[in-house]
Amino acid sequence: MSNQTLSRRHFLKASGMVGGGIVVAVALPGCAFKGPHPIEVTDAGFVPNAFLQITPDNHVTFYCPSDEMGQGIRTGLATIVGEELDVNPATMLVKAAGSHEDYNNPEFRVQGTGGSNAVRVFYEPLRQVGADTRALLLNAASLDLGIPADQLLTADGFIVAGDRRYPYGDFVETASSLEMPIATELKAPSRFKYIGADAPRVDALAKATGTANFGIDADVPGMVYAVVVRPPVAGSKALSFDDSTARVAPGVLAVVPVSSGVAVVAERYWQANQAAKKLTIDWEETPLSTVTSEQVRQDLSAALEADNDTESTRAGDPEKAFADADAGTILETDYYAPFLAHAPMEPLNATLRITEDGADLWTGVQFVGAAQGVLERLTGLPRGNIKIHNQFLGGGFGRRATLSHIVEVAEIALSVDKPVQLLWSREDDLRHGFYRPAAMMKIKAAADSEGHITAWQARRSGANISAQTFKNALPGVLPNLPTGLLNGLAGAMDYVFKNWAVDGSSVEGLHETYSLPSYQVSHASVDHGLPTTFWRSVGHSYTSFAVESMMDELAEAKQLDPVALRLKNLNDKPRMQNVVAEAGQLMAAMTVPENHHLGFAAHSSFGTDVAQIAEVSVTEGQIRVHKVTCVVDCGLAVNPDIVTAQLEGAVMFALTAALYGSIDLEGGAVVQSNFHNYPILRMNESPAVDVVIIESETPPTGIGEPGVPPLAPAVANAVYRATGQRLRDLPLQLA
Amino acid sequence: MITFSLNGEPVRFNGDPSTPLLWVIRDDFKLKGSKFGCGAGLCGACTMHLDGTAIKTCVLPVAAAADKAVTTIEGLGNPEDLHPLQTAWIEHNVPQCGYCQSGQIMAAAALIADKPSASSEDVDNAMSGNICRCGCYPRIKAAIMSVAASALSYDAAATEANS
Repeated sequence: MSNQTLSRRHFLKASGMVGGGIVVAVALPGCAFKGPHPIEVTDAGFVPNAFLQITPDNHVTFYCPSDEMGQGIRTGLATIVGEELDVNPATMLVKAAGSHEDYNNPEFRVQGTGGSNAVRVFYEPLRQVGADTRALLLNAASLDLGIPADQLLTADGFIVAGDRRYPYGDFVETASSLEMPIATELKAPSRFKYIGADAPRVDALAKATGTANFGIDADVPGMVYAVVVRPPVAGSKALSFDDSTARVAPGVLAVVPVSSGVAVVAERYWQANQAAKKLTIDWEETPLSTVTSEQVRQDLSAALEADNDTESTRAGDPEKAFADADAGTILETDYYAPFLAHAPMEPLNATLRITEDGADLWTGVQFVGAAQGVLERLTGLPRGNIKIHNQFLGGGFGRRATLSHIVEVAEIALSVDKPVQLLWSREDDLRHGFYRPAAMMKIKAAADSEGHITAWQARRSGANISAQTFKNALPGVLPNLPTGLLNGLAGAMDYVFKNWAVDGSSVEGLHETYSLPSYQVSHASVDHGLPTTFWRSVGHSYTSFAVESMMDELAEAKQLDPVALRLKNLNDKPRMQNVVAEAGQLMAAMTVPENHHLGFAAHSSFGTDVAQIAEVSVTEGQIRVHKVTCVVDCGLAVNPDIVTAQLEGAVMFALTAALYGSIDLEGGAVVQSNFHNYPILRMNESPAVDVVIIESETPPTGIGEPGVPPLAPAVANAVYRATGQRLRDLPLQLA
Repeated sequence: MITFSLNGEPVRFNGDPSTPLLWVIRDDFKLKGSKFGCGAGLCGACTMHLDGTAIKTCVLPVAAAADKAVTTIEGLGNPEDLHPLQTAWIEHNVPQCGYCQSGQIMAAAALIADKPSASSEDVDNAMSGNICRCGCYPRIKAAIMSVAASALSYDAAATEANS
């Protein structure tokens, strides 16, 4: 056994450093820009740094370094920079940043959005950007007005001198000749007027009027449309294909083999879509070609029975603690979660124009830096000449951090020598995706008679998440590494995670929520070859189901109240202890109809603590969730209404998975194809959601993902109370 | 050739009459507010009005729109002249990713036109053909109900005034 855990954060950090050149996280005001200017200045605006532009007529534009996929990040980061700049975020124009290292995620060291980290990692740097820019404008105004800077104030985009107000724009010409102050003192949170207040989303108007541009809406003069026919079994290659009828179908311009399958290019999308059905392709058989869902489950079980998994983390002496426990009271239970698809509403797409001088990509991607790198690798163009026009993302959930569609569009565009728009169908999305891996988890726990857990062992088997994600991202993160070395590196990473290290993302959440005097977490890697990647809340999406189901099972065994048992095991987790106590009080005060039952769960992820109470009824075997109450501590809530919306949405996303979600395999091929057999929760099935945000002035932590993990176990725990059936498999189905 | 009215303007389409209306609107008439989500009439992202009825246009051949009136999100309202539902959408901070919202609003607009003071059950029934993967349902419903409630109070005021 080895004891080495690489987390998703480490992986992204490491890949950024290995790449070289990607070193400066945030260009603080005053720093020189590296490479071509990331902001295309279209008029005589003042651009004090990569994030802000102020025009003489006092329009302020904020270039948002994180990708807006629904989580409200454009509003959140505009609020943060606006607070210190003293400009109301509602009056700013907020645009997606271009592709440039000045916009690198400070933690990932590459431009990208994920891990619920954007508000957390940009909170201080963007406040500093706002504060320094405001100080610069004060200095400029002082010169122009002949008034000492310390006698000037600011108010919502204006310099205030006594009873006179001057728009910031009046001073941008002078400001552009001055040196940018650095490390200007930041406001005390008690003086915040935008941070912490509810405000409308900056993208609400565009999204309510159909004027928000998504990747699919790109319309480039002369562009043609492409679809790709991919193998039914992931990774299989076309041995041969017959395109004789497809090639002569109406509008068809070309049939092009690409690395992932065969592309059909036509004058219109619908023509490409119809012609693709006329292709006959002979696909190779692969080891995955015989795999079924039943086999996956058996193999994952067998891997844990084989008992040769790799230890990830431990504390205390769990072996001794189990030996000391009354053997009759030790619980040991298996929990299972299936493969899942992300199914964002906007199917994957990308529009690429390659010219002699450069390339322009219009898409919605969570990993701008790697998308740029993939194009650098495939086109041979200098990185600075490749522009990523990142659009609104029609849902991400991790799916848009993968790059296969960027590779496809590049291969097609290079082949047809025209701008190309590639569009995946919903069937493509569900059948040819990257999936949340299936997970078998075995939890063994011992507690004393008062409910203090004395020993804890948590083991997981299944495909590891990071190695495959790394393999997919590598060509973009290391654009200049030759293909042979690239494959070697990806293979090495895969080997490492299968043999001597544990992928931290695959086991995250198996012990961290509670104060455990002794524990062991371990992992058995079982990879059937179905591509996997991050799925909203990653490993937590299944580990919370196992841990929080076990907590209720322990409570029952000890004849304790489930909330009381949890509180006994949170001694050195004061923030979560407070969240659980608050939620416990709310639960104790709830009155529900006779046939409704309450279930509780809590989970820490991405620095945020969430407890949920699900109100559930079961009628003729049908589980109905009526209401979910959430208590959350995410530090300072930058925009409480968006925090609330993220929890509402997380409940719906997680409930879809808890009640319906399963990607199944038959002959290695994904069975599900569209929303009839991969159902998504609809309005008439959706619960009411109440959200309580714990007031806090500590720096903000994640909010996009942490609402997902506790939901499934909260519902399962309620179903147990309603029926006496302990459901240990997802999705939840009554016998 | 197929002729129909698009947001009040007469238009002609010369291509394949079996092409779904969605693609004609998006790729030929370049109105991009209506979205592609499933291609099977299962998610409602492509919802438009055909002679005032909400319809899923990813499975509707353009031929079926011949001589009819097609209304898209662009014809319902615009940033300078919002439909009451669009105002309610902004007031309730409804959208997250926003991709499904054109379809949601078009489905809601057909409901409100038909039943200005729609009940909670009416809303559930009318809106359950529209998927929101971000899970904005509580806010979508609240936004529609706020418009329905104002219609209800308008009706009540009108009734009172007429009595």
